Amino acid sequence: MLTQQIINGLMLGAIYMLVAVAFTLAIGVLNFLNFSLPGLFMVGGMATYGFIRIGWPWFFAIGGALFLAALVSLLVERLAYRRGEGAEADVPLVSSLGFLVLLENLMLVQYGSDQQAFPALLPDMNLRVGGLVIGIAQIISLAISVILVAWLSWFLKRTNAGRRIRTVAENRETAQLLGVNIRRLVPQLFVASALLAAVGGVLFAVNYQQVSPWMGEGPGFKGVAAMIIGGMGSIWGSVIGGLLIGFAEVLSITFIGADVVNITVYGLLLLILIVRPQGLLGKPPAREKL
Amino acid sequence: MSSQATSTGGAAPEAAPVALAVTGISKSFAGVHAIRNLSFVARKGEATALIGPNGAGKTTVFNLVSGVYGVDAGAVTVNGVDVTHMPSRRRIGCGIARSFQNVRLMDHLSVLENLLVGQHIRAASLTDLLTPYRLFPNHRWRQEARQALADNGLERYANETVSGLPYGVRKRVDLVRATLAGASILLLDEPAAGLNPSETNDLRDHLNLLVAQGLTLVIVEHDMHFIDSICSNVVVLNFGEKIAEGPLSVVRQDPEVRRAYIGDGEN
Amino acid sequence: MSGYLTGVLVVLAFNVIAAYAVYLPMAAGQLNLGIAGFMAIGAYGAAFLTNEYGWSMLAAVPVASAAAGLVGLVIGFPVLRTHGIYLALATFALGQVIAAVFLNLEVVGGAAGYTLSAYAGPYVVFAAAIGVVLVMLYLSRTRFALYLTAVKSDPTVADLMGISVRGVQVAAFALGAMVAGFGGAFYALHYNFVEAQHFNVLLSVFTVLYVLFGGAQTVWGPLAGAMFFTLAPEALRFGEQWRYAIFALFIILFMAIRPQGLITTSLFQGFRRRSNEASP
Ligand SMILES: Nc1ncnc2c1ncn2[C@@H]1O[C@H](COP(=O)(O)OP(=O)(O)OP(=O)(O)O)[C@@H](O)[C@H]1O
Ligand SMILES: [Mg+2]
Repeated sequence: MLTQQIINGLMLGAIYMLVAVAFTLAIGVLNFLNFSLPGLFMVGGMATYGFIRIGWPWFFAIGGALFLAALVSLLVERLAYRRGEGAEADVPLVSSLGFLVLLENLMLVQYGSDQQAFPALLPDMNLRVGGLVIGIAQIISLAISVILVAWLSWFLKRTNAGRRIRTVAENRETAQLLGVNIRRLVPQLFVASALLAAVGGVLFAVNYQQVSPWMGEGPGFKGVAAMIIGGMGSIWGSVIGGLLIGFAEVLSITFIGADVVNITVYGLLLLILIVRPQGLLGKPPAREKL
Repeated sequence: MSSQATSTGGAAPEAAPVALAVTGISKSFAGVHAIRNLSFVARKGEATALIGPNGAGKTTVFNLVSGVYGVDAGAVTVNGVDVTHMPSRRRIGCGIARSFQNVRLMDHLSVLENLLVGQHIRAASLTDLLTPYRLFPNHRWRQEARQALADNGLERYANETVSGLPYGVRKRVDLVRATLAGASILLLDEPAAGLNPSETNDLRDHLNLLVAQGLTLVIVEHDMHFIDSICSNVVVLNFGEKIAEGPLSVVRQDPEVRRAYIGDGEN
Repeated sequence: MSGYLTGVLVVLAFNVIAAYAVYLPMAAGQLNLGIAGFMAIGAYGAAFLTNEYGWSMLAAVPVASAAAGLVGLVIGFPVLRTHGIYLALATFALGQVIAAVFLNLEVVGGAAGYTLSAYAGPYVVFAAAIGVVLVMLYLSRTRFALYLTAVKSDPTVADLMGISVRGVQVAAFALGAMVAGFGGAFYALHYNFVEAQHFNVLLSVFTVLYVLFGGAQTVWGPLAGAMFFTLAPEALRFGEQWRYAIFALFIILFMAIRPQGLITTSLFQGFRRRSNEASP
């Protein structure tokens, strides 16, 4: 059943890929390791669940959850990213971790710490292709992830707005000299990466049909691993990294056992960080100029 | 391309021994030559000036000698030791210390603590590392650093945090720190930049005192009067190459030097 | 001392030890997001040695902390080649791997946890914490502490001054790991039970928060941070459920307003100047 596992890995990888792209957008352009993204992933899933529970139709519920995630992300930008004078360099990162804790515990207060059953939004249909079983939800998730990432990549390459973003990523001063309005661009990027993470959370909930306040940590942290393995700041790196992590996870569950997933995934991350910190597709940092 | 007539200019019959020798070094950054086949020596107990228009490569020479970058070709010898392939950290132990063009002090530390960092190479044993010197207000390390500050008229800044100090003060503290390594050769990158006239005078006296004490100085500076009153030998760089060498009075007559400085306000 | 007060003070002691374990590398500019992993090594080490080999605490604690320090040393060398975000992530991954390894190690109970028979009373724990604080205060008076700051604020120049930047960083990292292991060992011995799930990311993150809140510029910051976050919730007694949410919100707002932390060097300088003026 190796082929089946590969397909499962692909599905899981597609979700990690979305999260990884969200992280890479924040780090590549803003140089900010935004640990609130796993929280926003969770908001995507949990808030959709919450809105459905109070009777909203599912598409409104999803829209509401995405809106909420975007809103929270703007707060993160305001409170964690815009850093004051004399701050330790690590403050934004740690502050964003504070947001993760905050979001998780607010959800905990609202819905309790248990797993909640997420309603089946899609008919429980399976495609059977020569002995392989592929769920409709899986296919739709994969399609949405791939389309989103492909569109983003096209957007960054081919549009003027995308070019502006890449200028900022390369050099802030130059971008400012060229007249890029960074003050406006930054919040937009925060919203974009929040939406990617939250969509990941929604897809995760739809696929696995359960949500909890802690659901962001696993996929969120694995998304970080995926981003690093692929190479920070590179979208295609995140795609490769996400798929790799997805496969690594599914294969180690199949061949060794569910308990060793963290060893495999984070061991892989550690190894990459030691051997090739810039990741598979990243560029090595230049040496400082005196 | 280097001028022939002036190459022995400053060195009289009984030339002092060579302290720093740079032999045929080259360095390029991303294909652009910053330094090309450069050779010069600094003699013991003398001050040598390294001058040239902006971007000529003066700071790069210091970076190559102190090991911030490795050379692409050539060799650097410090007090008779070939340091070309020595890690930057070890070079200070061969008796060479430097200051920085854009002051590089540790901002969160006080002036005195910055100077203590400068003493490191003479207090590098494990015992030194773990001595609780801060429990003793008059520990010899602190005394020595305070004395060095007093010699430069800076004693009142001893306990100030560096980040809050005026540029001229930081610039001089940067220099004092370099002197505290106990090195016999000092590389000073524009030590007078940003100082007011009276500070510049004090600095000149101090540097002359160091030379009189037998130290070897290599000074990058744009102020020619300043150089004239300290340095016996001048090396002129342009586009990474040496275009002249000799006493300032001779070098400034050199047509190539004049050409290099047109529009750069020579004198 | 009432049982309640003792219980709070014991938690404080553990938090203080953990805070200094994070502080040491942070003073050299390294964010260690995997401190819980090193605590786990100390905890499981002490548990295993006292349980399986019948070692006394006096022997087990130093060996367990040394083991944590050794892992810090061995892993620190390659990991510290990376900088900034990469380093933070490497320590993060390391913490995850260590916790996952213990979760799968059947000799120490696996996911079910591991019960100890040796016991360290509250006063032993207090003594351990006070010991750590004293050692840190001592270190803060030495060149070692000076070089931590130097390496953090300008590694290039520190290197040109002849300081082994790598050596200082690895030493700070390994010493921090050792302190974490030391705290972990007493944690296991005091509560008589360890489970891998306790040593999770959140434990690491909270400890980092204590230090950043207190301020990483001076040796007093971690102590202040750990005290505040152990004692303030007890004093306020807000609902158990809201506790972490309020904690997180507070931290976020505080970091936005005063990102350099509660206690800073300029604060001390201000005191000094005032006392100088009072007695010229
Ligand atoms: N690390 C580096 N990477 C790329 N180029 C560099 C680097 N360091 C120096 N250069 C280039 O080498 C040339 C020489 O620079 P350098 O700083 O040595 O000049 P300088 O003579 O000290 O000038 P100034 O008088 O302005 O200080 C310049 O063109 C500079 O841009
Ligand atoms: Mg220069």
